[in-house]
Amino acid sequence: MLRSTFLPFFISSPFPPAKAFALRAYLPRPPPVCKYSSSAQSPPPPPPPPPPPPTSAYVHLPFCRKRCHYCDFPIIALGSSTPHHPDTDPRISNYVQLLLREIAATRAWSDDCSPLETVFFGGGTPSLVPPGLVSSILDALKSRFGMCDSPEVSIEMDPGTFDKEKMERLLELGVNRVSLGVQAFQEELLRACGRAHGLKDVYEAIEIVTDCSELQNWSMDLISSLPHQSQEMWEESLRCAISARPAHVSVYDLQVEQGTKFGHLYTPGEFPLPTEMQSADFYRTASRMLSGAGYSHYEISSYCKDRYECKHNLTYWLNRSFYGFGLGSASYINGVRFSRPRRLKEYEEWVQKLEDGLVVLHEDISVDTKDMAMDVVMLSLRTAKGLDLRGFAKCFGKSLARSLCQALRQYVESGHVVAMDDDRNMLSYPEFELKMSEDSDEMGNAVASIRLSDPDGFLLSNELISIAFGIISP
Amino acid sequence: MSALVRFSRAARSKLRCNLLRHPYPCIPPSSVLGVDASLLHLCLDERSFCSQSRHDNRDGGIDLSQYSPEKIRNFSIIAHVDHGKSTLADRLLELTQTIKRGHGQPQYLDKLQVERERGITVKAQTAAMFHRHSFGHPDACDSQTAPCFLLNLIDTPGHVDFSYEVSRSLAACQGALLVVDAAQGVQAQTVANFYLAFESNLSIIPVINKIDQPTADPDRVKAQLKSLFDLDPKDVLLTSAKTGQGLEQVLPAVIERIPPPPGKCDSPLRMLLLDSYYDEYKGVICHVAVVDGTLRKGDKIASAATGQSYEVLDVGIMHPELTPTGMLFTGQVGYVVSGMRSTKEARVGDTLYHAKSVVTPLPGFKPAKHMVFSGLYPANGSDFEALNHAIERLTCNDASVSVAKESSTALGLGFRCGFLGLLHMDVFHQRLEQEYGAQLISTVPTVPYIFEYSDGSKVQVQNPAALSSNPGKRVTACWEPSVIATIIIPSEYVGPVITLCSERRGEQLEYSFIDSQRALMKYRLPLREIIVDFYNELKSITSGYATFDYEDSEYQKSDLVKLDILLNGQPVDAMAAIVHNLKAQRVGRELVDKLKKFIDRHMFEITIQAAIGSKVVARETLSAMRKNVLAKCYGGDVTRKKKLLEKQKEGKKRMKRVGSVDIPQEAFHELLKVS
Repeated sequence: MLRSTFLPFFISSPFPPAKAFALRAYLPRPPPVCKYSSSAQSPPPPPPPPPPPPTSAYVHLPFCRKRCHYCDFPIIALGSSTPHHPDTDPRISNYVQLLLREIAATRAWSDDCSPLETVFFGGGTPSLVPPGLVSSILDALKSRFGMCDSPEVSIEMDPGTFDKEKMERLLELGVNRVSLGVQAFQEELLRACGRAHGLKDVYEAIEIVTDCSELQNWSMDLISSLPHQSQEMWEESLRCAISARPAHVSVYDLQVEQGTKFGHLYTPGEFPLPTEMQSADFYRTASRMLSGAGYSHYEISSYCKDRYECKHNLTYWLNRSFYGFGLGSASYINGVRFSRPRRLKEYEEWVQKLEDGLVVLHEDISVDTKDMAMDVVMLSLRTAKGLDLRGFAKCFGKSLARSLCQALRQYVESGHVVAMDDDRNMLSYPEFELKMSEDSDEMGNAVASIRLSDPDGFLLSNELISIAFGIISP
Repeated sequence: MSALVRFSRAARSKLRCNLLRHPYPCIPPSSVLGVDASLLHLCLDERSFCSQSRHDNRDGGIDLSQYSPEKIRNFSIIAHVDHGKSTLADRLLELTQTIKRGHGQPQYLDKLQVERERGITVKAQTAAMFHRHSFGHPDACDSQTAPCFLLNLIDTPGHVDFSYEVSRSLAACQGALLVVDAAQGVQAQTVANFYLAFESNLSIIPVINKIDQPTADPDRVKAQLKSLFDLDPKDVLLTSAKTGQGLEQVLPAVIERIPPPPGKCDSPLRMLLLDSYYDEYKGVICHVAVVDGTLRKGDKIASAATGQSYEVLDVGIMHPELTPTGMLFTGQVGYVVSGMRSTKEARVGDTLYHAKSVVTPLPGFKPAKHMVFSGLYPANGSDFEALNHAIERLTCNDASVSVAKESSTALGLGFRCGFLGLLHMDVFHQRLEQEYGAQLISTVPTVPYIFEYSDGSKVQVQNPAALSSNPGKRVTACWEPSVIATIIIPSEYVGPVITLCSERRGEQLEYSFIDSQRALMKYRLPLREIIVDFYNELKSITSGYATFDYEDSEYQKSDLVKLDILLNGQPVDAMAAIVHNLKAQRVGRELVDKLKKFIDRHMFEITIQAAIGSKVVARETLSAMRKNVLAKCYGGDVTRKKKLLEKQKEGKKRMKRVGSVDIPQEAFHELLKVS
């Protein structure tokens, strides 16, 4: 039953494709205390509709063989000298016990809570966790929150950590989407960034995954702007990725984080890291090559074949609620974002408190409307769909929507921002200006949505989003 | 300490009284080490000096009527910076038991934080001391019979910027101690200060200080004093304010060599207003020198400058803090509280007299001449009111700053301030920041230029932005202020200094040797050339040995142009500068390079240009930002990413926007460093 095929996804799910991404339906409930008033001239907007309860769950499985040089996630490195095989390592089973306790102690949204539609096992390296334990987590989620008929169940897997048997076992359990952490197709680059696998492992993993005929929905991760990475290497990686025919590709631009090995060794833009210009070119190359191979660039770092968007990740971009379980994981329920402790000991104590009823999660905390508006803008502008100005104006006021357009108009002219009408037709700059000047009150109806252009607008998304932030929260 | 400076002077003096009762907690180690010999020495000295700290009459106050002009000496101490002026003042205050040894703060008279930090005196202070002395028998004075003298020490700033303040103080003095470091010898400010005192007809007592230093060479210094100022080596006192050596000769010399004040006791009252400051509790406090007649509490006095009259609410001397005496007599220096509302009413140099009488006003002072102008703007545009308030308060205590509101398209509302010099400007900034918590952006300092046009009109330009780039008429001539600089250097540095001065468009006026090792050079230099980094440069090419001082000189004809800075073709008014035509290209290049370094890349290309009129002299292009994207937004952890973006937003907020270009504050600060 759970081994459903990918085709009916958008038919059976309440998540219809394309137009369904419209924002308004998923805006959270208004906060108990509303601190934001947009402008004196327009009346305060009516309260947004209540947010739908979470139907997504993120589960963090932090174990890795070793820490990659760029990684600053909350992970637990098992080490190579461990006496235990991962299948029997007590650290893993103890952690999963803790996770099950957290799930059990987490209050369901309501008695008639909606069943889960997506589950995402992220890490760490979730593929190191024995399938039996993964199964127990899925069972716990199912009994606590329910599971819809054909949920999307994704798991991150690293080359070299699984064989055909493990793969099949996971699929039997209900896993139906795999995210394969390939990162690069050059032995020297894999080594340079401290990956625990080699190129041979990559090809073996691809073979295992593609051999599973029931698994069409799989994704490949690549990282650009690695140290010593050349344009040729990057193009080679993209070509190899395309020829493996994944349904989905995630392309991450390397972030050099403080406290990581790369953070100690390198400065962004300086050798051996590519220059800012090269790095921008890598991004453009990915956009060009993947688009040419039939992938749609539906989010800043995500590409997919038609209808293979990662439904779980869309939850994030659409500002929908989601559960989070496990070390350092983030949840977003009832308009409140919360991140769990990143250290195992503190997480364990936190779970204990949760069980003792000492932790109040997601209860009546006043949420600043400005914060909410910033979330909506930041997340929606990451997507190709963009920001639905109608819905935005309804929730946060027409004058704010108008101010946003005013602040971004020079970037509409420069081509970094694309304005669209109701039928998602792109408005030329003169058309945009005309609409803007038509009727100030009706502006919300004049420009239906805006998005960042691909690749120019996406490449400068931080800049554009922080300009928007400056308008929302001056 | 920073908390203290926010208190009013009245509150501070209360605090200081507490400090006097409880020993001051941090006595510098040097004074502890020096205890053995010097304390013994001082104990002996004090007995033989027969000093008396309080001269109480029956009412418990000080009776000043027994001090006729012949028992009064008004003097100041003048010296090059760091030659020991403030320490000598401390010792004299201790010797006369005006303050207790080791109990007051070191540099007692330097009350401002900026003075203590920089080791300079900015604001003149006075202190009254009492000392018994018999003429001709300095060693055998009798504490009961020797006549007691009222000595007014007027501490003055040493730096040239404050020579205005010095000449004011010297007007109330009849003599001065010229203090010279025994090892360093005569330095540039020694020369400048000597001439100020000399021109005021003061009796000068040369004091060679710090003779305890191993490198002290008093004979060489004596020779310098002789050759430069024609001071007789026999008249020179040798002291060490640190060990106390030779201090016993100082006050007798003051009494014997400095003439008493010349006023007439029986003439109608005339007082010279020396200085004023604002006290939160008492209002305006004026420092005055009674030239003729007598002033009593309750008298009605009038100002010759404003014609306004006031009642004297309190009168007294600084001993060392405000000490009421009820009256002041001819020749005495003290303070008056008279219900003036603002220091603007108390014009320094004004003559105050009895309201009913008719007197000829005293000569007064030359008004302060503002030599350096700069725009002051709140770092955050919305803080204009706070800055306005801070400047108003500070100018109550520093009337020598001129302030006018101005506005800039780049920086918003702000002020154009005129200063006596660069140090004065620096000190003013520092006081605004330290004492009033103001956050500032200041524009490139400029000097007052004069432009003459073909239609015969002349304009004085204090703000380069105000000078039209295309006036529609021809500039026929321009003038800039110049200074006469005195530079004293060890002779091996003569070459580099000559090179520096000629780079700065200097004209050599004098070149001589004050002894076998030291050269004295005089240059006429455009003021513009020395206001930014001349002194730093001079110090660095002479390993710190050069000393430098300057006095104002006349305006010189010059070939000046306005240099505009343009960002994407739009001029930034706050960055405009007036420069010499021959230097315009170099300065323009430097400014453009600095801006390229400090302006962040934008989403679009930015051209940075320096231009004279429509002629571009330097140009740089800041290419557009290529990439600013956070690709990973992992596991729904939106918060972290949002924080980053909010930080980015806040960064933008702190910038000043010109057209569509955001300019960080540092860019403005960096431009100040371009000469």
